[in-house]
Amino acid sequence: MEDLLQASVSSAARATETGYSEEVSREIVDICGDSGISLVASLPDDWIAQTIAGFEQDKRFTHIPVNREESALALCSGAFLSGTGAMALMGASGLMTLVYAITKINYTYEIPIFILVTQRGSLDDGAKFHVSNGLYFDDVVKSIDLPCTIIESRDQLPKIAEAYHHSRKISRPTIAVLPKKLLLGRI
Amino acid sequence: MNYQECLAWIASKWTDELVVTSAGTSSEIWFEETGDTERVFYLEASMSLSSCFAAGIAFGVPNKNVWAFSGDGAFVMNAGMLTVERQMNLPNLKHFMVSNRVYGSTSNVPLPGRADNDYAAIARGFGIDRVYSFGGMNELQAKFEEAVLEPGYSFIHLEVDPLDHRGKSPPMDGPEVKFRFGRHVEKVTGKNIFSAPLP
Repeated sequence: MEDLLQASVSSAARATETGYSEEVSREIVDICGDSGISLVASLPDDWIAQTIAGFEQDKRFTHIPVNREESALALCSGAFLSGTGAMALMGASGLMTLVYAITKINYTYEIPIFILVTQRGSLDDGAKFHVSNGLYFDDVVKSIDLPCTIIESRDQLPKIAEAYHHSRKISRPTIAVLPKKLLLGRI
Repeated sequence: MNYQECLAWIASKWTDELVVTSAGTSSEIWFEETGDTERVFYLEASMSLSSCFAAGIAFGVPNKNVWAFSGDGAFVMNAGMLTVERQMNLPNLKHFMVSNRVYGSTSNVPLPGRADNDYAAIARGFGIDRVYSFGGMNELQAKFEEAVLEPGYSFIHLEVDPLDHRGKSPPMDGPEVKFRFGRHVEKVTGKNIFSAPLP
């Protein structure tokens, strides 16, 4: 069986074949590295397969693929209490599963966490099974007062670092949202 | 094993480890036995996340040992947490899983699979090498040093009887738990948790 590093190379190659931009992924990884993040816990989404591989292959990071979104949240929240910069990376559906964990752990204890999430369910998402995200994601995020930054174009990628630092300032979770066109390198 | 006696004995062996307790009973008993408000993160309402939370701490402070407590209610909810712990394989993390086959913090409501769940076998099935299962105090005391004090990640299954009473929650709100624990970590590790410079 391939080890994790080799498997991530295969996964990134597959993502490139489907049109996702290696350059944008690399820029995301660099911005996270420069911002002080060193631990990344991820859940899969094919929009960010290359980004996940980027974290796996970059020695500035310890990348931990986790079993479910709550585990990512717990790992990153604990990491904060060890002075480690951490980020959770996941699809929009993953964030939708996190309402309990965010409100119970991060709001109750006022522990910052930064979550980078895809904008599944957007108008350009061809997957019917993500329609629910398009319908409800924004309202769910607003309903729990979760500060949300949509990265509208490549020149806005530095906002990822700002959103990460903002979570530390306000001792609450923040999220940044990655649209499909951005990850395809089209905006 | 008697739940209270078991945790009281483990608490008597506690020296400088950081401790994360989970929802309900383990938080209540640990606080009752130790009264500590600095070295313990009482992660109440943790819903299966205490050990991954502890793994995040252990990752960042490799020179400190971290003890995580969870229950079998958490285990049936999120057994996959062990895949993360196995993968990280942190030598300074010990995961105590206290099994009483009921949801102790909700009036001992019976657990799914309570008669058949073999937690140690599941842990081994995820590839964890150092799995210990203790059903009595003598076994726990005899193997404690090997299971807990020697370096290496270990998963320790403690089979106890359900409690017939509830303890008191530690009398602190969430932010106080965070600051007391975090300040202790800052003090003993030199890490900057709350005052790291921001751009």
